[in-house]
Amino acid sequence: MVSRVLPFHPKVISWVLLCIPLIVISLMMAEPGRGQGLLSNQWKRNGLASERFTINGTGSRNNPLRRSLKTPFDGSEFFVRFKLRYHANSLDSPPETSGEFFVLWLDQDEGNDGSPHAANIPNLGVHVQGDQNRFMIRYNSSNQKFGESIEGDRDYAIVGRLWKSSPEKQQPFDQLSLWIDPTGSEELKPDVSVQSQQSISKIQWIGFSTGAKTEIEDQIDVWDIRVAKSWREILNLPAEPADPNYAPDMPQPPTKKTISFRKHIYPILKKHCYDCHSGEDAEDGIRLDTQDEVLQHISPLLHSESQLYQVLTTGRMPPEGPTLPGGEIQLMADWIDEGLDWDAELLPTPIPVSNHWAFQPITRPEIPAVPSKWVCNPIDSFIAAKHQQVGLTPNASAPPKTLRRRLSLDLHGLPPRPETSAETSEVRSMLSAPAYGQHFARRWLDIARWAESNGHQHNRARKHAWRYRDWVIDAFSEGMSFDDFVHQQVAGDELAPYRPAQLIATGFLAAARYSGNELDKQIQRNDILVDITNTTASAFMGLTFECAQCHSHKFDPISIRDYYRFQAYFVPGQPQNLVLAREENTTRIAQKRQTLFDQVEQRVKVTRRKQGYPEPILITPTNVIKQMRPKEREAFKELDGQLAKLDQTWGFYSPSTASAHFTVAPHEMRWQLPHMASVLSKLRGAILIRGNLRTRGPEVSAGWPLVFGPPPTEHQTRRDLAYWLTDLQNPLTARVWVNRIWQWHFGRGLVETSNDFGAQGQPPSHPKLLDFLASELMNHAWNTQHIQKLILESSTYRLSSKHSAENVRIDPDNRLYWRWTPRRLKAEAIRDSILEVSGQLDHHHGGPSDAHDSKRRSIYLTQKRDNLPEQQVLFDSANGIISCSQRRVSTTALQPLWLMNSGLVQNAAKKLAIRAGTIEMAIRIALHREPTETELQTLGQLAKDQGLSSACLAILNSSEFLYIP
Amino acid sequence: MTNSTLMMNRRKFFATAGLGATSIAMHSLFADEHQGNQTLVPHHPPTARSVIFLFMSGGPSQVDTFDPKPELTKLAGRDVPESLAKNVPRIKRAGLANLLGSPWEFHPRGDSGIAISDLLPKIAKHADELCVIRSMTHRNPVHGPGECVALTGTSIGDRPSLGSWSIYGLGSESKELPGFITMNLHTDGMQFPQAAGWNPGFLPSRYQGTLVDPAKGIMHASRPVDVSKAQREQELEAIQSMNRSFYSDIKLNELEARIRSYETAFRMQTSAPELFEIAEETAETQNLYGCNKAPTREVGRACLLARRMVQRGVRYIQIRVGGWDAHGNLKGNHDKMASRTDTPIAGLLSDLKRTGLLDNTLVVWGGEFGRTPTMEGRSGGRDHSPSAYSTWLAGGGTRGGQTVGTTDPIGYTVTERPVKPLDLHATILHALGVNAKRLIYDHHGLKENPLGVTGGQVVREVFTST
Repeated sequence: MVSRVLPFHPKVISWVLLCIPLIVISLMMAEPGRGQGLLSNQWKRNGLASERFTINGTGSRNNPLRRSLKTPFDGSEFFVRFKLRYHANSLDSPPETSGEFFVLWLDQDEGNDGSPHAANIPNLGVHVQGDQNRFMIRYNSSNQKFGESIEGDRDYAIVGRLWKSSPEKQQPFDQLSLWIDPTGSEELKPDVSVQSQQSISKIQWIGFSTGAKTEIEDQIDVWDIRVAKSWREILNLPAEPADPNYAPDMPQPPTKKTISFRKHIYPILKKHCYDCHSGEDAEDGIRLDTQDEVLQHISPLLHSESQLYQVLTTGRMPPEGPTLPGGEIQLMADWIDEGLDWDAELLPTPIPVSNHWAFQPITRPEIPAVPSKWVCNPIDSFIAAKHQQVGLTPNASAPPKTLRRRLSLDLHGLPPRPETSAETSEVRSMLSAPAYGQHFARRWLDIARWAESNGHQHNRARKHAWRYRDWVIDAFSEGMSFDDFVHQQVAGDELAPYRPAQLIATGFLAAARYSGNELDKQIQRNDILVDITNTTASAFMGLTFECAQCHSHKFDPISIRDYYRFQAYFVPGQPQNLVLAREENTTRIAQKRQTLFDQVEQRVKVTRRKQGYPEPILITPTNVIKQMRPKEREAFKELDGQLAKLDQTWGFYSPSTASAHFTVAPHEMRWQLPHMASVLSKLRGAILIRGNLRTRGPEVSAGWPLVFGPPPTEHQTRRDLAYWLTDLQNPLTARVWVNRIWQWHFGRGLVETSNDFGAQGQPPSHPKLLDFLASELMNHAWNTQHIQKLILESSTYRLSSKHSAENVRIDPDNRLYWRWTPRRLKAEAIRDSILEVSGQLDHHHGGPSDAHDSKRRSIYLTQKRDNLPEQQVLFDSANGIISCSQRRVSTTALQPLWLMNSGLVQNAAKKLAIRAGTIEMAIRIALHREPTETELQTLGQLAKDQGLSSACLAILNSSEFLYIP
Repeated sequence: MTNSTLMMNRRKFFATAGLGATSIAMHSLFADEHQGNQTLVPHHPPTARSVIFLFMSGGPSQVDTFDPKPELTKLAGRDVPESLAKNVPRIKRAGLANLLGSPWEFHPRGDSGIAISDLLPKIAKHADELCVIRSMTHRNPVHGPGECVALTGTSIGDRPSLGSWSIYGLGSESKELPGFITMNLHTDGMQFPQAAGWNPGFLPSRYQGTLVDPAKGIMHASRPVDVSKAQREQELEAIQSMNRSFYSDIKLNELEARIRSYETAFRMQTSAPELFEIAEETAETQNLYGCNKAPTREVGRACLLARRMVQRGVRYIQIRVGGWDAHGNLKGNHDKMASRTDTPIAGLLSDLKRTGLLDNTLVVWGGEFGRTPTMEGRSGGRDHSPSAYSTWLAGGGTRGGQTVGTTDPIGYTVTERPVKPLDLHATILHALGVNAKRLIYDHHGLKENPLGVTGGQVVREVFTST
């Protein structure tokens, strides 16, 4: 915080600096210039020495240190603060000796060295009373009060306040108060106060006086002398926030409004601006006839910072004709400062109209009648229709053994067991195996940018995040319908009746990354909200919202207001560790722990403040715990231990809209997210102009983008959003989901940009097929596996991968599916397959994540951001930071190095050799076929020369092993 | 994205770059497309062939190293004067109380007379090679996001790192080593390296920086001890035979690229371990870098390796030295960091110079931000401050012995010639012969370049005489 300490007069500064450090003799001489010959201009100091003055007495009246204000002060309230240390051997008290006298005075006049200030000059300091030296304030001997007695060799912080009970300029400063070692909360409780009508009404000088009781050998240190106009300033306290945690420290609009848009502003805009700056083809794209667009050109509540005001006042606008009259410019300024009143009836926000394909309703298309034996189900009809259009002849079906391998690697991410046979009827059972859930969950986790740590520098672990991973696995394995899948993830905490699994599902929202080292809670929360908004929009709606965070989208009909309206769904909640069991007792434990923590934190703060730490005083949680007294720490550990025993999940919780109250358990991070439910429920969404947290515009309530219909009128929760997403009229959700399923099976979506169905995305290669699948999904109660079965049972899925020169000429990239495009296994499947064929894979499922050297499936390895398992990074896994809808496939030399040299693969080759015993068997296990003659020769020779494990290493390195055939 | 669409993008890139799709160089380029091991044609004649980015993580203090502030010494113990305080951005950590003078004296160095503090006396001897930018500035005061800003241009960490862009644009001159190598040293305390600093963002992952432990070499580059060269050759033959047969039926570019990647990997098995044989260097050279003793050994080895990488054609080398986060005890912290880095970095500059490599090797030194001129609490340290900080460049066509930009009298804010991290990126790419605005990657239809939406400008005075 800026401490607005009143500036001292510069000339006096140098005078004071020059003279004070000199010993008292020169001061007594009242000749400021003397002593210059002895010392150079200033002390040379670094920051480790502070400005500290040592004052000695003279045995008579003296004014050793004084300084002038830059301008006289006649306002209502004036604060002074200084640090004081009385050397113990300087303190003498009656009856043996005379006692002490040392004060700071405030006066209109400077006075001279040696000459006393008149009576009725307010002063505060130390004076003898009875047989004790006490702190004292006084105007004169009949208006004086004493506080506690002073101890020697101790640093005191003294604060004085001089104020006027009648605030007028000419009125006297009739009130004087004193605080000794205040901590910040005592503004209304000074240690002593005194009144007198006989006083000055203006302050020009402050200074210190010693007196007859202050002997030559007495030594008093003063330092850190400040003056200010308020309690907060003098103590360097942070500005009082309206809300302790996230209130934006923004100017507040005046409560009294004087401007009416219709009456005052509309006529000005219409007369001077609208000829050019209105309507869709507005000049330079700047339109002033919708509130959202005006917002782009102002700084909220600050007309002087607003471009709109600046162009008017400098005469740059209007371009022709005279500058606007001063009165009109003033109205515009007031309009901005009062919060940009608008008349939505007069100038409503235009509803965007879009003819973009993805925003049109889904209609079930006719299935093309294609007379072909190849056609096996409707999918093939759509595919075959295109084939015939362009003259492609689809490949024959792949051999059963290849299909068997394809299905297994595609559905389970593992090669088939060598003993299993190849029958297509297995699809159903394969879709209910745990391996299917484990494999497909990973794809959704990519989209959910899920990981098990906060991310960024401190990157603390989210110990309970694994429950969401298991929830996704179960959702796939159990064939959860997609609408349910959406509802639980978007609004699990709001669904009634409460079921733990639903709360766990909010791990989707909670997976947002943020910096635990961020001190600015507004930034920290904003990062989370932006992450959640963008991820939710792209995951379910396939829209890239992020552009609209700063300005209305250039390509898609998403305005900045749409963006923040969508974000407002998430504003009342935040990611937390949530206790799954709902018992009153757990809440009490969590509260007790938090209260204890807060108390100690507050105590440490107060102590540090007393010790003179500048504000803001920040104490890390580790330090708070360190500073606990033994009993407190014991109690704290006990409470922590009790909480740790409870089942928790890393979820998203909005206390004001949740179906029930949930206990928030602690989460380790450097600077915690605010934890108060009451604070969260008060937060409102607002448009952040140009995406800047510091330019907070009008508040908005939750709702969907206008292009999807007029916004809801009643209050919206995330539950409403979830149901809107899965409304049968929603044009995006079903299309986006079936496209993802298609991509997962074929390696490429019908819409290639599966996270962007907007105008910048690719159009679908088979629009009718996409809509057919989308309507099929909705007609079958959002049953994901129904779509998968359609795909898996189609001829399209069973095509062989054989190259065809003829087809390549027509469709080189196989966009029309004349063959199967083999694709490399995902990073996880590469590792899992290697472990599987070497008989090492640990199939145990569920539970907390394992260390990277574990033998469980890769989905169970700890996913710490920036520290993902090595092979995941090598083979293009998602990074768990932003939503990843399509992993890339890159081919680098580092991959063969890992496959040939890493301990994991070397060891697997040895294990496979032991398991197989022969080349033939090794190939059957790993590649699910019989060896060729050439292979028997090459690998046989290799085995003979270098051992079977060497041949097994070659098999594990083969493209055939690593690709879905 | 398939390889063919990637090639399309390359074609588009070259069309954009105005090089024409018929250029002969293009053919050799496409032939080796998948490994990214080719040198592409630069946009303009480069002044640097390689970059060594010495990333000083934690945030070295500008006012104690390269930005002398006599006024700060005078004002020590006071609050930031109102006239300066009003310019300090309202960000957390930007303390305004209790200015802290530098414990180190500054002296003019070399013929150019650039003032550098006594903290780094050996680097200071190279003053005439240094172009010190005193006006680096951004707004993020937190390490993680700040590191992302410094190395990727934005705080999110989802965009490609500068090194990734460099090899995307230019490839590597080495057929046997990765084009972009990063080494993370002295990860003291909580300052974990941000993977974004060597990640490829939306670029394909072959443009990722290869993380190398200077003590151990490139991960898995060495054959297991029980595998002879002959065995490996025979294994490779078997693998390639299987892979060729798998390819012949299917004929996917990706499968062809895999076959080539094994050839490169095989070469790397020889060249990578050899790179780390610093015993080949003379004792004098090793001592020059401080390889012979603590506390310079670790950074010294990395710096010497960097020179060896430059000699072998590695395009972009990043050395991250953590530990500059001087919250408490500025003096102790920075003395320690100087004792680790001064000799190795000065040694690197000397060695590059005497071998002539400095002429086409750009050395960059700097952190994710600087530090406040005020004391943090009563700790005797300084807090983070991104508002103004110093970075220097040397070699690679830059003009040494000059400073760029100025800061206010206490070094808190920039007063002239602000340089954003993306300006620095544009400048580094410029030295490599790349016009950052014309280095395009087609990301789902969005034409991305290294400067993103906010853009950046080449700091031209770095290169030219003024």
